[in-house]
Amino acid sequence: MTLWFVFALMTVAAILAVLLPLGRSGRAQNQGSEVAVYKDQLTEIERDLAAGLIAAPEAEAARVEISRRLLAAADSEPAAAPKSSLKWRRAAAVLALVGLPLVTIGVYMPLGSPRLEDFPLAQRARGSGSGMTLENLVVQVEQHLEKNPTDGRGWNVLAPVLQRLGRFDEAVRAYRNSLTYNGESAERRSDLGEAVSAAAGGVVTAEAKIEFERARAINADDPKANYFLGLAAEQDGHKDEAANIWRALLAKAPADAPWRPLVQSSLARVGGGGTVPALSDETIAASKDMNEGDRNAMVRGMVERLATRLKQNGDDVEGWLRLVRAYLVMGDRDKAVGASADARQAVASDAARLRQLNEGLKTLGLDG
Amino acid sequence: MTRKQRRMTIIGGSLAVLALAAALVLNALRDSIVFFSTPTMVAEKHVAPGKRFRLGGLVQPGSLQRGDNLAVTFEVADGGAKLPVAYKGILPDLFREGQGVVAEGVLDANGVFKADTVLAKHDETYMPKDVADALKKQGHWKDDYGKVSDRGKPAATTAQGNPQGAVQ
Amino acid sequence: MIAETGHYALVLALGLALIQSIVPLIGARLRDDALMNVARSTALAQLLFVGASFIALVTLHVVSDFSVANVYENSHSMKPLLYKITGVWGNHEGSMLLWVSILALFGGLVAALGNNLPLSLRAHVLAVQAWIASAFYLFILVTSNPFLRIANPPIEGRDLNPVLQDIGLAVHPPMLYLGYVGFSISFSFAIAALMEGRIDAAWARWVRPWTLVAWIFLTLGIAMGSYWAYYELGWGGWWFWDPVENASLMPWLAGTALLHSALVMEKRNALKVWTILLSILTFSLSLLGTFLVRSGVITSVHAFATDPTRGVFILLILCLFIGGSLSLFAGRAGSLKQGGLFAPISREGALVLNNLLLTVACAVVLFGTLYPLAMELLADFKMSVGAPFYNLTFAPLFTLLLLAVPFGPMLAWKRGDLLGVTQRLLAAGVAGLVVIAIVWAWTRGGSALAPLAIGLGVFVIAGAMTDLAERTGLFRLPFATTLHRARGLPRSAWGSVFAHAGLGVALIGIVCETTWNSEYIATMKQNDVAHVAGYDVKLDGLFQRQGPNFREMIAEFNVSHEGETLSVMTPSKRSFTTRGSSTTEAALLTRGASQLYISLGDATAEGAIAVRIYHKPLVLLIWWGPVLMAFGGMLSLSDRRLRVGAPKPARAKQRLQPAE
Repeated sequence: MTLWFVFALMTVAAILAVLLPLGRSGRAQNQGSEVAVYKDQLTEIERDLAAGLIAAPEAEAARVEISRRLLAAADSEPAAAPKSSLKWRRAAAVLALVGLPLVTIGVYMPLGSPRLEDFPLAQRARGSGSGMTLENLVVQVEQHLEKNPTDGRGWNVLAPVLQRLGRFDEAVRAYRNSLTYNGESAERRSDLGEAVSAAAGGVVTAEAKIEFERARAINADDPKANYFLGLAAEQDGHKDEAANIWRALLAKAPADAPWRPLVQSSLARVGGGGTVPALSDETIAASKDMNEGDRNAMVRGMVERLATRLKQNGDDVEGWLRLVRAYLVMGDRDKAVGASADARQAVASDAARLRQLNEGLKTLGLDG
Repeated sequence: MTRKQRRMTIIGGSLAVLALAAALVLNALRDSIVFFSTPTMVAEKHVAPGKRFRLGGLVQPGSLQRGDNLAVTFEVADGGAKLPVAYKGILPDLFREGQGVVAEGVLDANGVFKADTVLAKHDETYMPKDVADALKKQGHWKDDYGKVSDRGKPAATTAQGNPQGAVQ
Repeated sequence: MIAETGHYALVLALGLALIQSIVPLIGARLRDDALMNVARSTALAQLLFVGASFIALVTLHVVSDFSVANVYENSHSMKPLLYKITGVWGNHEGSMLLWVSILALFGGLVAALGNNLPLSLRAHVLAVQAWIASAFYLFILVTSNPFLRIANPPIEGRDLNPVLQDIGLAVHPPMLYLGYVGFSISFSFAIAALMEGRIDAAWARWVRPWTLVAWIFLTLGIAMGSYWAYYELGWGGWWFWDPVENASLMPWLAGTALLHSALVMEKRNALKVWTILLSILTFSLSLLGTFLVRSGVITSVHAFATDPTRGVFILLILCLFIGGSLSLFAGRAGSLKQGGLFAPISREGALVLNNLLLTVACAVVLFGTLYPLAMELLADFKMSVGAPFYNLTFAPLFTLLLLAVPFGPMLAWKRGDLLGVTQRLLAAGVAGLVVIAIVWAWTRGGSALAPLAIGLGVFVIAGAMTDLAERTGLFRLPFATTLHRARGLPRSAWGSVFAHAGLGVALIGIVCETTWNSEYIATMKQNDVAHVAGYDVKLDGLFQRQGPNFREMIAEFNVSHEGETLSVMTPSKRSFTTRGSSTTEAALLTRGASQLYISLGDATAEGAIAVRIYHKPLVLLIWWGPVLMAFGGMLSLSDRRLRVGAPKPARAKQRLQPAE
């Protein structure tokens, strides 16, 4: 209510600013005119002359010139007495009394939030305790850490919360600090790695991989590190490697480990073959146990599917390398050479991929 | 002098100054402006070694290497191509891997961009506009670009550039 | 309540501005004094409300009210009080509010001090001011409202960009805006004159103080901004020909031309049409500057605002005001009466040359700023126009200008004697030549042009002194007479001497800094010693320190010169946790006008740190020059002649009577 009262007072003040001069009649105000300026210029010449700053002839010439302007200005002074037009004054008064409030309310209402109270820092500090959200607690811990940046325990508390809140970049920083002030541990390393890959949108980047590897160096059986290293292998296209890591992880895991189902489903994803033909060395090797005809049919089918897919989307360097390798395994060197030429053309516009491809081909013995 | 003559003198003088200015500008435009390029544009257009230009893009994550005596090398990428950059000096405060950067310098014979200036940007969220525009044009723009690694992001460029133009 | 009151006050200011845009004009048409006087009280009320609005925003920042989006986005409860206040205009919304506050301030000042103006002129001027104000109030309310609220306020803000957390932000933008916006007054006067169809020498005298005020602040604002960039950005550069810097330089060039052409108009009633055009152009360039900075259209280190809707809105304002005023000018300019005659060689002629060179230089800067934009738009390729371009274009034009500067004030009005002036300037010329010879012999390295440029600077300074000596009769007349004359000399004459000498001083600083700057960049370990320009700089060690909202790594350097320890310098690198970014705080050691400058790079794992040390000879002259110019402006402003009638309304009235 107070707010509206203040608004009303302000509006009245604004209206008065328009109405007051309208109420005054006649020539209450002083006003200047050109004549005053020219007269001043004339006295200035006298002054300069007296001070010896200008010579008499110059002064005379200037005096004539200014006098001419003075006469002209005096002639053009508004001869007519000021009029007062009551009709227009009333219109202006109405404009102020009605138009001004209408405009201000019309503009303010859609933009303003008159119901919202102020929320200054002092008030917030008083009102703490109840209604604390997780975010606000985080802020308090952050403020504490701002002052005591070496408090390792604080970072330890903060980091997982930030991770859960989805503030991955900050979580990475918090885990780093936690490592600095609490010392090395496999868990902290792998937590950091997890945060790094979360920040990268779930991709186990090289940076994240380093952290997991460090974690594994401390504790070879750290489950999180092993899981993510498997994931890294999968994302690099080495599904067999991923499967191996995860299989080893499951073998060592206690039967009631809460993460068992996650690893199992991941293993099924790489082992059970997804929708994308996974032409890993393992499958090719496995197919060697089949009889000749079956094996050829299976391998050729898979290779053809892969070739078709790569024709549609040629950016998959790993795919190209697998295809070339498959041709080589099948003993079809010409096709392998053809495929590598196709691959080079498909990724030619991308220097990074081209380099990756060339390196891959080199290891397959298809140089240049 | 008549009023007309006086006016002609002033107009003549003005024209002379204007002509002088125009001559200066045209002369300066010939060799003192610097073009802006991205790694893809460099790859496509065969920029001659020794020609000065500004290179804009994102610092490739993991590519920054510090050598002796403040020498640094890093790669500038724009999603389509990468270009190695060598610089000697102190990098600006806001230089980060995965974030936008503008460098000025020349290509050497080996296709390495020798930068003599690396421009800072003022704000965390502020991407140099040249870089942002270039990336948008190529369809690589994402607000969280720096966070997404290359893999799994099919490049949208279909231009069949000459592979020789690409760096090495 | 503070937030909403501030918001409502801004809306009320818009309402008042709309009334002020219309009612006084009707009053002027009808010759109704009361209607015309509405402009005065509404202008003052506007100032009151916008001021209240601005104070409300400052208060919100100070108490860290994060229910206001603007505060949340740009403040932090742990930020030092000074930066809480300066942070108000360290962001787009707040800086626009500062812009209109200053606009209202100037409007209020015209209303309060404008008693010496004819009533109808004042009504017109204030109405035009209200047009500008209305457009910008709308812009703020619709696209950049600083009072928008957050229903569920977060408990902590996102902090101000660390680079802006500096004392420079407290001074630079307000100064610059006082300059930019101050030119709106001369614009309004020009439009008022065009609308009234009456313009004469008196007009020039009325506008002059306002133009001077704007020019003084713009001069100081630009110099301040340049010094800020010099010490804050950490690589010792002080001018980058950045589009945003150009945006402030262009109104300065046009405004300087305007100051001089208004002088011709005041004294000789000539160059009237040109002066009006310059008034329009100067403010148009200010608007263009606002557009370039605020729309984020140009790549620039200053562009902390980027939003297309804002850009389009400002572009509309820009087109409306520039297009409208130029059309009005085109329609009315022909009807303005021509003024006094003068010979090409005369004070007027010199001022025309001054105007010509300044406006052409301004046009060159404008071209350099807009050409890359145009090319991008039309030809679809990107490029940048940098220092080399301006060195080849702007520098020669300014050299010509500087050569002419000493001659101008010494030529007589109407018809001057160039030969006589040259003879009187002989001493100044000789001084310049002697300095050239000395510098040539003394220094090694650097451009061959440098001694010439320094000689030119000396010539400009000596020329200004010669002018002073001529006017006071120094060495010609008895000393007592000289003293008497010096006392009687109008302050504006003193002002022009200082302003012109300031130009020379700045030139010498620029040349020395760019030519003989020595630089040392290396990685230093503890107890390493760097030798720069005769100074020995030893790294004593690295320390960590906790600031209010940042952590700081300080390097301590012991500086000695020829074995004598001078001082300890402590540059630092601050990292701000909230934004996860860092700034470099350079350390400066001033010796005379020269400075030693140390800034830090990254620390290596082994405890070494990258260090940049510069020795910048006479670098401070670059900023002393503009300060001297501004001082000259202030002297000129305090000249009693400019206040004609204003402080003594009663006398003015008495004098009026016989004429009426």
